[in-house]
Amino acid sequence: MSDITRRAFVGGAVALTGLTLSLELPAQETARQAAPGVPRPPRTPSAFLQIGEDDRITIITPAVEMGQGGHTSLPMIIMEELGGNWDRLRVVDAPAAAIYNNPLFGLQATVGSFSVRGWYLELRRIGAAARVMLLQAAAQTWKVSPEHCVADGSEVIHDSSGRRCSFGSVARLAASLPIPQNPLLKTVAQYTMIGSSPPRVDVPDKVDGSARYGIDVTLPDMLYAAVKTCPTFGGKLKSLDDSACRSMPAYRATVRLADGVVVVAQSYWQARKALERVKVEYELGPLAGLDSEKVSQQLHAGFAEPGFVARHDGKVEAALAGAAKVLESVYEVPYLAHACMEPMNCTARVTDAGCEIWCGTQNPQAAQAAAATALGIAPARVQVHVQYLGGGFGRRGEADYVTQAVLAAKATQGKPVKLIWSREEDIQHDFYRPAAAIRFRGGLDAAGKLVALEAKIISASAPAIGRPGAPPFFVEAVEDANYRIPNFYVTGLNKDLGVRFGFWRSVNHSHNPFMLEGFIDELARAAGKDPYLFRREMLQHGSEGARRQLAVLDLMAQKANWQHPPAGHAFGISAFEAFGSFIGTIVEVSVKDRFVTIHRVVQAIDCGVAIHPDNISAQLEGGMAFGLTAAVRGEITLRNGAVMQANFNDYPALALSEMPLVESYIVPSTAAPGGVGEPGTGPIAPSLGNAIYAATGQRLRSLPLSRHRLSLKVART
Amino acid sequence: MVTLNINGSDHTIDVETDTPLLWVLRDELALTGTKYGCGLGLCGACTVLLDGRPTRSCVVPVSAVSGQAIVTIEGLSKDKSHPVQRAWIEESVPQCGYCQSGMILATVALLKNKPNPTDHDIDTNVTNICRCGTYNRVRKAIHRAARMQENGETPVGGSSTA
Repeated sequence: MSDITRRAFVGGAVALTGLTLSLELPAQETARQAAPGVPRPPRTPSAFLQIGEDDRITIITPAVEMGQGGHTSLPMIIMEELGGNWDRLRVVDAPAAAIYNNPLFGLQATVGSFSVRGWYLELRRIGAAARVMLLQAAAQTWKVSPEHCVADGSEVIHDSSGRRCSFGSVARLAASLPIPQNPLLKTVAQYTMIGSSPPRVDVPDKVDGSARYGIDVTLPDMLYAAVKTCPTFGGKLKSLDDSACRSMPAYRATVRLADGVVVVAQSYWQARKALERVKVEYELGPLAGLDSEKVSQQLHAGFAEPGFVARHDGKVEAALAGAAKVLESVYEVPYLAHACMEPMNCTARVTDAGCEIWCGTQNPQAAQAAAATALGIAPARVQVHVQYLGGGFGRRGEADYVTQAVLAAKATQGKPVKLIWSREEDIQHDFYRPAAAIRFRGGLDAAGKLVALEAKIISASAPAIGRPGAPPFFVEAVEDANYRIPNFYVTGLNKDLGVRFGFWRSVNHSHNPFMLEGFIDELARAAGKDPYLFRREMLQHGSEGARRQLAVLDLMAQKANWQHPPAGHAFGISAFEAFGSFIGTIVEVSVKDRFVTIHRVVQAIDCGVAIHPDNISAQLEGGMAFGLTAAVRGEITLRNGAVMQANFNDYPALALSEMPLVESYIVPSTAAPGGVGEPGTGPIAPSLGNAIYAATGQRLRSLPLSRHRLSLKVART
Repeated sequence: MVTLNINGSDHTIDVETDTPLLWVLRDELALTGTKYGCGLGLCGACTVLLDGRPTRSCVVPVSAVSGQAIVTIEGLSKDKSHPVQRAWIEESVPQCGYCQSGMILATVALLKNKPNPTDHDIDTNVTNICRCGTYNRVRKAIHRAARMQENGETPVGGSSTA
């Protein structure tokens, strides 16, 4: 156990009672291993699982809870192998420590729909090792063979005598036994917990206000801070005059940031009022002239510039020259904000001993590092207390708000400070889903078969997580398409325009499928073929990806009754691979007087072994709603280098009254688990665009619908 | 000084009268179940009941609510037993959960006026925003709570003011 981990545990967050496993299991590679060279610390079971003599099972989860169910799904994996009683479970967030780095990509981050994918094997091994030790302890006590003992419902049961004892009663003895290095794991067919849908552990505290989010942290002597930063990207604070707020009785401190100002007061409302009285001048910086038209022009200019080659099969130019029919289209999508319901916030306390921070974060070690850097101290002196996240969606993987809170707390002589962003600050200082454009050229032969596809992708690309030195990955969801296309050429141009960008739910799968699956639909129509069957034909080549994508396509086509849309209605379809899963959506619409009415949404996923089917349905619906908001009206625009939207009036979210009927289907599978938090976001936009074409003949090549003077309606049966 | 009746008890608080009720609840009374989402009354995360009416507490100055019965999510029941809370648990509605206090209180108010709401009633009365997209489960839970109330299930230990 590392020092920080040991200190955090002994410090009291997790009581070390009963079974405390302190030896190390050998590192074992997961089935779909990424990243050669990523350091893989050995896993200490007691850092993940502790069983008290009171029978309490404490699971320390490396995935934070931001709504995607990690506090339930990861414990389920341990409990499956352990044979524990779900009602005895307590779930605790892990502190910042390398032992919690996701085995798949080497960071302690709840991102990329990686949590179940990365931890599936390791957590089963931890649960199984503990089970073996408990069986041995009971068998020793009873003087029987452990082979004749089983674990179920937090009890060890001796099969011939029927004797039983609780886990807690043998936990202390079990903890003294050697840890089995290769415990036998269950087969998928033996699962009883995985594949069931136990009540989510976080739900009860979310119906009575007792769930604690970062913004709810309350400490003795706590002060409050409000923050305002330069409206333009790359701008700096030039001067500030806080004389008008210094006389306010509740005022406590002003803190200069490189790009803005923080005011600390005795209450949050007073901090907000004081901040309004501060006069600030900014140097607006080099992007002060940037607006959305220029962003679009620069993206389009990229089509004439050289990029990098992401995929090169066959000879595209020759195939296009010889094609019976050639189509060319340009697609484009705007910047998007995350707009988590809980605005960014962090509470910090800075003393001579170090720093403590409390916040919702998707990346506790990044929060720790940000605080350490801001204070010039070692990361080990920063303790991170992870709270529930009121939405993450990628935004809370960043730590800008942590830096601000720590700098504020540095100015308050050891008193803790809770810094809360206004919604306006939140919308205008996000790390946006980048704007992007793709130019496609596609060639069909005389039989209407797609023989050549060229795509040039222009966007800004975040670094590939856990793959240092890897090429920019914004070409994914195009270059890795499962379709068989004999001549397939994909290039990318990484165009950073200076606008802050980052990871937004489903990342490149939030928009590249809109463009690729839209163009595939265009090609199908040009070939005179049914868009579903056109896709089917290109997935007949037998690779695992093509086979699984095809099964998703077929399942939803069957459920939607694809060949027979109701009179006056039209279907749109799309499907692709995302986050290790295969996802597709069919949308049924009718269009009249610029209103697009959604009658029905049918989604299907193959996510490998389905850990918690009820939560998978919830994630598919929720992901769809996130994608639908963006498709219908999501757009961050710029003027004079600043974001024009500020709150839910001009960056409106989907309303309950606009939520369509959704059916979600899961393809039965025994494959290793894929992700479920993000795949559902991507398919709604292409399917909606394709359905609108089917209904009207109008092809939408940019989002949102509001750009095309189209509005959303929803049918209620 | 203002005196507020919150979840059945009176509280006298020394606070500037223009302070929104939201921040008084959260920062003065530690009733943090009421959430800040937008500050403009747009999202509904801060919804409380004022004399039974769903009200967005981020835009209501504390001076305006003296003498009214204020119910927050903490006052709905002592043990998550209000029918709406139970329906929420049974339908496993929350994801991140941040908007759910407001959703639940908007639902409590709706069911008081319309014990058996139609989908249209739900669409027009529950205007709270949820970024996780829990809306279809919210709808199911509202119908379930309506059935529970119809079957005579009254909140156990619930506040009389709810």
